[in-house]
Amino acid sequence: MDSHSSLPPLSRRPLPGRKWQLAALAALLAAVVLIGAALNPAGLLHGSKPFSVRSVQPDPLGTRLSKVYGTSTPARVYGTEIGDLEDLGENTQGQMISDLTPLPASAFIAPVHAYESYSETWLGHVQSDNVGLGAALSAGNVGAAKAAWMRTWADYLHLGAVYLEGPVATLNQEIDGSPGGLPGGTSSPQFTGLHRIEMGLWEGQSPRSLVRFSKQLSVNVAQLQRVVRTVSIPPLDYATRSHEILEDAQRDLMSGMDVPWSGEGVLGMAAGINATDEVLKTLSSILAPRDNVLGQAQGELSILQGAVNRVLREHHGQWPTLDQLTMSQHELLNGTLAGALGALEELPGALETVNIEEIPSIPATHK
Amino acid sequence: MSQVNRRRFLKGSLATVGAGGVGLGAGLSAGGASAKPPDPQQQAQAVLADELATRTPFDGAHQSGILTPPQNQATVVALDSIAPNAQQLFEALQTLSGAARGFTQGEPVPIQEIDDPAPDSGILGAYDAPDALTVTIAFGASLFDGRYGLAKLKPRHLYPMPNFPNDDIDPTRSGGDVLVQVAANHRDTVVHTVRELLRLVAGRLTPRWTLDGFTSAQRGPTPRSSKRNLFAFRDGTGNPDVTDAALMNRLIWIQPNSGEPAWATGGTYQVVRTIRMHVEFWDRVGLLEQENMIGRYRVSGAPLGGTYEFEDPDYPSDPHGKRIPLTAHMRLANPRTPATADQRILRRGFNYHRGIDEAGDLDQGLIFIAYNQDINRQFDTIQRRLAPTEPMTDYITPVGGGYFFAPRGARGEPDWVGSGLSAV
Repeated sequence: MDSHSSLPPLSRRPLPGRKWQLAALAALLAAVVLIGAALNPAGLLHGSKPFSVRSVQPDPLGTRLSKVYGTSTPARVYGTEIGDLEDLGENTQGQMISDLTPLPASAFIAPVHAYESYSETWLGHVQSDNVGLGAALSAGNVGAAKAAWMRTWADYLHLGAVYLEGPVATLNQEIDGSPGGLPGGTSSPQFTGLHRIEMGLWEGQSPRSLVRFSKQLSVNVAQLQRVVRTVSIPPLDYATRSHEILEDAQRDLMSGMDVPWSGEGVLGMAAGINATDEVLKTLSSILAPRDNVLGQAQGELSILQGAVNRVLREHHGQWPTLDQLTMSQHELLNGTLAGALGALEELPGALETVNIEEIPSIPATHK
Repeated sequence: MSQVNRRRFLKGSLATVGAGGVGLGAGLSAGGASAKPPDPQQQAQAVLADELATRTPFDGAHQSGILTPPQNQATVVALDSIAPNAQQLFEALQTLSGAARGFTQGEPVPIQEIDDPAPDSGILGAYDAPDALTVTIAFGASLFDGRYGLAKLKPRHLYPMPNFPNDDIDPTRSGGDVLVQVAANHRDTVVHTVRELLRLVAGRLTPRWTLDGFTSAQRGPTPRSSKRNLFAFRDGTGNPDVTDAALMNRLIWIQPNSGEPAWATGGTYQVVRTIRMHVEFWDRVGLLEQENMIGRYRVSGAPLGGTYEFEDPDYPSDPHGKRIPLTAHMRLANPRTPATADQRILRRGFNYHRGIDEAGDLDQGLIFIAYNQDINRQFDTIQRRLAPTEPMTDYITPVGGGYFFAPRGARGEPDWVGSGLSAV
C-alpha cells in the first residue's frame, strides 16, 4: 500500500454522547433543563432539547450572544417554551418548521470547491495506480495485479458517493458499477470497470485478457477528471454525502454485495471513512455553531477509525477480506460503523438550506 | 390416476377409528386406569368455537388467497418439479390440492399404527383447525418448458420476471415451477401446512426457495384502514375494490375468449417480489422526506394535503407537484388517469423479517405480491414508470421473486388446481 492509500488517523475527540444514548435519561435531563432554565435562561440557549447533549455541555458563546445562532430568535426570549416547540417541529402559530435557520446555499461554495480539489487529487491517484495495474495485468502477474487493483479501487472509493445525474453518473457506473441491474449481469458488455477486473482476477481469468478493461478505466477516469470541475453539487446532495458514503459502505461493502469476488469490504469501508472525514472537514466551519452534530460525528468516526486500525493491526497490516474477519472483528466493525452512521445522520438536518413550507391542502371542492 | 395422497388415504381408512374412540391411540391412553381419550370431534368443536374457527373455501370459481383479506401470517414456497413425467407431476399437484382442501376446511388429525410414522406431524394437536387458512397455487413459466409437453398450454402473458434497474435478483431466491402461498391467522397453522404439504409431494416437487411473512396488526383508526409495511407507511391504500366483481373481471381475472388458453379462464397472474427494505437507511431519513417519497402522511396514510387515508389526492389540481411530488411513489404507481385505469393491480403483500445480513443490518422487507390480468399491461408498466424515477429506489433492493399464473379454483373433490393442464 503506498503512502496515499494509507489512512491517516483521525483526531480523537471527546465523545459527547448521542440522542439515543441519552434517551433513557430523558426524565433526568428534562429536570436538569428545567432547573437550568430557572437559574440561567441564557444557559439554555442550546439546551432546549431535552435529549440534547448541549444541556450538559453549554456552548461557551451562549451567554454572550444577543441572537441565538442558527435561529432568528432573540436570545432573551429564547427559552423553554420556544425550545420545546422547536422540538415538536412547529412554531408558535402551530406551523411546521425546521429547528435551525436555513443556511444560504452560498455557504456550501467553499466546501464543495474543497471537496472537488480533494476528488481531483484522488482521481490522480487512481490514474497512477491504474498504470501499475495495467502493467501487472500485461505481465500476467496475478499477485501484483490483485494488489494494484486494491490500491486503484480504494483510491476511487476515496471520492465517496456519486449521485449526480448525467455524465458523472454514467462515468461512475462505467468505472465502479456492479453488474446488478445490467441486462445479462456479469455478461453484459456494459460491465467493464473495476469490478469487471476484480471478477476476472479472483475468478482465475487470464490477467492479460483484462488489460483492455484497465485501458478503458484510464480513458474513463481521464474523462471524469475533465468533467468533475464542471458539475455543481447541490447543497442537499453535499449535506447528505456526509452520511451516505458510509451508508453505502455498510450496505454494499461490509455486506459483501459489491465485492463478491475479492471480499475487500473492509478496505472499501476504510476509504469511505477517509472520504467522510474529508467531507466533515470541509463542512466544519459551517457546522461548528449548529447543534452539536459535528463533534458527535467526528467522535464516532474516530471510534470507527480506531476499530479499523485495530483490525488491521491484528491482521499484521494486511487488509483482511470479509471472510478472514473473526466474529468479534466483524462485530466490532459493524457495530462501530452503525454507531458512526447514527451520529452522521444528524448532519443533513443541521445543514438545511430551505425553510419547510406548508403543504397546500387538497381543494375543499374535491373532498 | 394413482394417488400419492397418503393423508387422504389415511383419513379415509382411519376415520372410524377416530370417531369410535376405540382405536390404537385410545387403547394406549387407556393403559392407565382412568381417562377416556379426548374425543377429537369434541375437541374440534371446542377449537372451532374460538378464534381458529374461520374457514375459507378452497374450491370455487377463483382460488382463495387472492381477493381474501390478507391474514396475519404467510409463507410462500417455490417448488421445482422433479417428477419424471407429466402424469406424476399431475398426481403431485392433485395431492397438493387434496391436502390443501382438507387443511383449509379443518379436520381431525388421523391416528395410525403406533409403529408407523404419524401421518400428520401433529403440531396443531388433535384437530387441524382452519384458522382462515388459504393455500394458493400458481405456476411459473418454467413449468411450461419442454419437460412435460405443456408448452402449448402456457398462459399467454407468463414469462420469467425481467431484471429491472436496481434489481439484484438472487437466482436461488427467485423463480420456480410452482408457487404455493400459505396464509392463516396464526404462524403455527402456516408452519404446519407448509410442513405437511412438502411432506406429501416429496419426490415430485422439491422446494427451491421460501420466505415467511406477516402483516401488521389492525391498529385502526378504522377496520378498513390499511396495514403498514416496514417503512411504516400503509400499504395497499390504492387497491381496487375487491367487492366490485365487474372491476375484478377487468383487472384481475382472465376472461373467456381473451386469447388465453381455455384452461386459464378464471385465473390470474401473480407477481411476487422479495423487496429488501434498507430500514436503517430509511430510519435515517427525515419524516418529511419520507412522506414526500411516498406522497402520503405516515401516520394517517392520507395523501399529502389531505386528512384521511382514502381521500382522492386530486392530481389535476396539483399539476406541478407542489402538494404531492411528481416523483412520489403513489403518484407514479397510480397516476389515476383514464389512460392508466386498466393498469391497476391488486396488492396483497406481507412484511418479512429474516435476520441480519453480514453487515449487521436487519434483513427486512416486503413480500410484494400483486395480482393482475396481464403482467405486461399492468405490473410491468407500473414498474417501468417507477424504476428510473422514484427516489425510494435508494432504500430498497428487489432480491427475489418471480412471475406466476394462479389458475381458477378447483371444482371440488376430485378436481384440483391446475387440472386443466392434464387435458393435453
